[in-house]
Amino acid sequence: MRSSRTPTIALSLTALLGLGLAACGDDAETAASDGEAPGTTAAGDEGGDAGGGTLTVYSGRDEELIGPLLEDFATETGIDVEVRYGSTAEMALLIETEGDRSPADVFISQSPGAVGFLEDNGLLGQVPEETLDLVATEDHAEDGSWVGLTGRVRTLVYNTDNVTEDELPDSVLDLVDPAFADRIGVAPGNGSFQDFVSGMRVELGDDETTAFLEGLAANDPTTYDGNTAILEAVGRGEVDFGLINHYYKFQELAEGVDSPTALHFFEPGDLGGLILVSAASIVATNDAGTAAEDLVAFLLSEESQTYFAEETQEYPLIEGVEASDELPPLDETVSLRIDFEDLGGLDETEALIQASGIDG
Amino acid sequence: MVTDPAGTPGPARSRPDRRRRLGRGGRPSAVLVLVAVAVAVVFLAPLAYLVVRVVGEGSGLDAVVDRERSLRALGNSLRLAGAVSLTAATIGTGLAWLTTRTDVPLRRLWAVLAPLPLVVPSFVGAAALLAAVAPGGLIDELAPGLGVDRLPEVEGFGGAWFVLSLFTYPYVYLPVAARLASLSPSLEESARLLGRRPVQVFRTVVLPQTATAIWAGTLLVFLYVVSDFGAVAQLRYRTLTVEIYDSRLFNQPEALFLGLVLAVVALLVVALERRAQRHRAVVEVARTKRALIVPLGRWRWPATAMASVVAVSALLGPLAVLGYWSVRGFVAGNERARPDLGELVEPAVATGALGLGAAALTIAVVLPVAYLTARHRSRLGGVVNAAVVGGFALPGLIVALAAVYWTLQGPTWTARFYQTVPMLLAAYAIHFGAQGLRAAQVAVGAVPRRLDDAARTLGAGRWRRLRTVELPLMVPGLLAGAGLVMLSTMKELPATLLLRPTTFDTLAVHVWSARENARWADTGTAALVLVGVSGVLTWLLVLRHAERLD
Repeated sequence: MRSSRTPTIALSLTALLGLGLAACGDDAETAASDGEAPGTTAAGDEGGDAGGGTLTVYSGRDEELIGPLLEDFATETGIDVEVRYGSTAEMALLIETEGDRSPADVFISQSPGAVGFLEDNGLLGQVPEETLDLVATEDHAEDGSWVGLTGRVRTLVYNTDNVTEDELPDSVLDLVDPAFADRIGVAPGNGSFQDFVSGMRVELGDDETTAFLEGLAANDPTTYDGNTAILEAVGRGEVDFGLINHYYKFQELAEGVDSPTALHFFEPGDLGGLILVSAASIVATNDAGTAAEDLVAFLLSEESQTYFAEETQEYPLIEGVEASDELPPLDETVSLRIDFEDLGGLDETEALIQASGIDG
Repeated sequence: MVTDPAGTPGPARSRPDRRRRLGRGGRPSAVLVLVAVAVAVVFLAPLAYLVVRVVGEGSGLDAVVDRERSLRALGNSLRLAGAVSLTAATIGTGLAWLTTRTDVPLRRLWAVLAPLPLVVPSFVGAAALLAAVAPGGLIDELAPGLGVDRLPEVEGFGGAWFVLSLFTYPYVYLPVAARLASLSPSLEESARLLGRRPVQVFRTVVLPQTATAIWAGTLLVFLYVVSDFGAVAQLRYRTLTVEIYDSRLFNQPEALFLGLVLAVVALLVVALERRAQRHRAVVEVARTKRALIVPLGRWRWPATAMASVVAVSALLGPLAVLGYWSVRGFVAGNERARPDLGELVEPAVATGALGLGAAALTIAVVLPVAYLTARHRSRLGGVVNAAVVGGFALPGLIVALAAVYWTLQGPTWTARFYQTVPMLLAAYAIHFGAQGLRAAQVAVGAVPRRLDDAARTLGAGRWRRLRTVELPLMVPGLLAGAGLVMLSTMKELPATLLLRPTTFDTLAVHVWSARENARWADTGTAALVLVGVSGVLTWLLVLRHAERLD
């Protein structure tokens, strides 16, 4: 087979060349980037203080919602901020897989579930006491593993063509009523529904939560993969009601979408109006020094909180900044907030949802 | 121009000759074996990651895995993948024949449109289709008087089957079109001279000659459907991948274990397919004169109708919805909702560059494997083939996490590549290597060795024979593979989110984050740009070449 050797070598060389080129590209890349790449000596360890280092943020919040603030922070402090945007669950999985070599210094999450996952794995550091004190006690972890940044409220969206006002339930627990059979849309695989169920477990215990989930399942709800899809389905009249976070309807209005949908806020204090906080955590592998702490504090500054209230239509969490007029006041309409620390195993929540058969 | 020295190539003639060579063919050279083994090791990284993690989680799988639920999900995955494979193979083959071999009106237009549904990310494609055809959706709203009382709901098995068939047929279309473009028309000519009608010619001559290409694409469809999350999640069909996603955070041991199950099933499917292929006739190609064009006669308009239906449902319909979202935002949205086109320029360039880079890298890496597996039938070839092809069934998230794990667990020098462009390209190559390999195998397998022998007799060196004889014959097939990898890369999400350099943004990332946050206008605009960029690149890379052959 001597004859076939030369082209084989040629092909192999092509392959190696391809890889080699890729490797060359990398050298330039790495040289140009910060000293924080894992495996290199941590020259930038104390860099955060001096403002010369790089602060790496993994953000489960959309760039559109938080990007401008992070840019402001970089400009004001001179700290080089690198942000990786992705979904909250994927960013948490990424930090977990990276383990003690994670480049991440700060983790910003859309909902509490993913934070619990990282905490269980011992991957979070501590937010300083004075930053925690900026928000109410239920909006931060006692041990400082996370601090809330904004709140989103759980609501019921309904189709205004198919639903009359007197049909609207006072409590989310009423959704097990046969009157809602085949009319509800939920997203059992979505973080915010899972957090809602976790909240219910804290408040009512596992037995009542199970009873609620089974009752809901008996009404044969239609399942969707997220808030956006539920809102669209209610708009089409595919289902009459949907459990979503308030934010999405406000975004729909901003887009000029003319859909026959409206939000219904449950009675004050009802579990259905649970506040879900987006949160910031300092990752255990933080090597940017106090820059990470500075960023978290910055996100809780009056300037940032006003930005959230005005630009993203979310509830600010510090004293002295008011929510948008279009939202029900936090203390009147929605009083229930859950301290997610009491939850323990978040996998239990998932197990309850699965056992109820809600997602077919 | 290379012509077949024997004058009349044909499966009937070359078959016994080929069979002998495959059966007892010489041993592959040591270098080829070495390279192929190295490639296989790299491609097995995701599987190794799953094994290491599952073993690391320790015992007690019974406690974390809901057996009944998982088995049902696995059954769903296989059922859906089987059904979609069948329809995608039919659509892909039919369209390829229409656009390469017939005088169907608007032939070039169909040729440009046909591969593009592949670049529509399935989560947004499914959402757009739903917005259009679901009851109460746009069609219902615009034309309430269609006479349809209530449009059928697009969901569950039927919905997933419908949507995925439309978005995956290009896996079959591209290799088959490439094969048809390089087939000698002489057999078809003879068949027609003997009075066979177009449909008969297709069945008795074209189909057997394209069988390997059809198989190559169909297996890719099968594996893709198994791995897909976006469409099945939208359409509420609980496959194994949906189960994996649902438990990825709250029950990680289960997610990892189910990932392992998926990998093993995929390896089995690939091995079975290779066994089944063993006795398949091998067709050789030659670059010849202009391909034969079949006049469709009275079938012209039905054929046009079929091509239109596919183009409208798989591409133009979803694009119209995306366009509607985009325009609505520009017209009715407030300032914050209005899409910013300037913001999309850099991501568009990055997306194109990544797609081309991944395509080039992948083809370079899999070509030696293609030689080993298509030219020699050895056990090693089977293993390498399964390693590269089977990995395609794994959800992108697992491939990405495996890349993270091994890069950071490895020696210090590998960690330096972490979250750099080369690492991202490598992850794409691992994830999509199957697409490149399947196309490359078809291309390599179709090069007649007689040509080599003839060239050697004439004193041409090995390098020269490769360059002047083999590569030119393989180009259409290799480009088809490159096109598949490029389109897949451009819409890829999980690996891109996890592994890109932080300063790097792609169009798919834009589409996803906009969709996730109910920014319809941004979703539509970014998705349209994505389809536009990929259309241009597909034209330049794949189609222009095929046109030149005409």
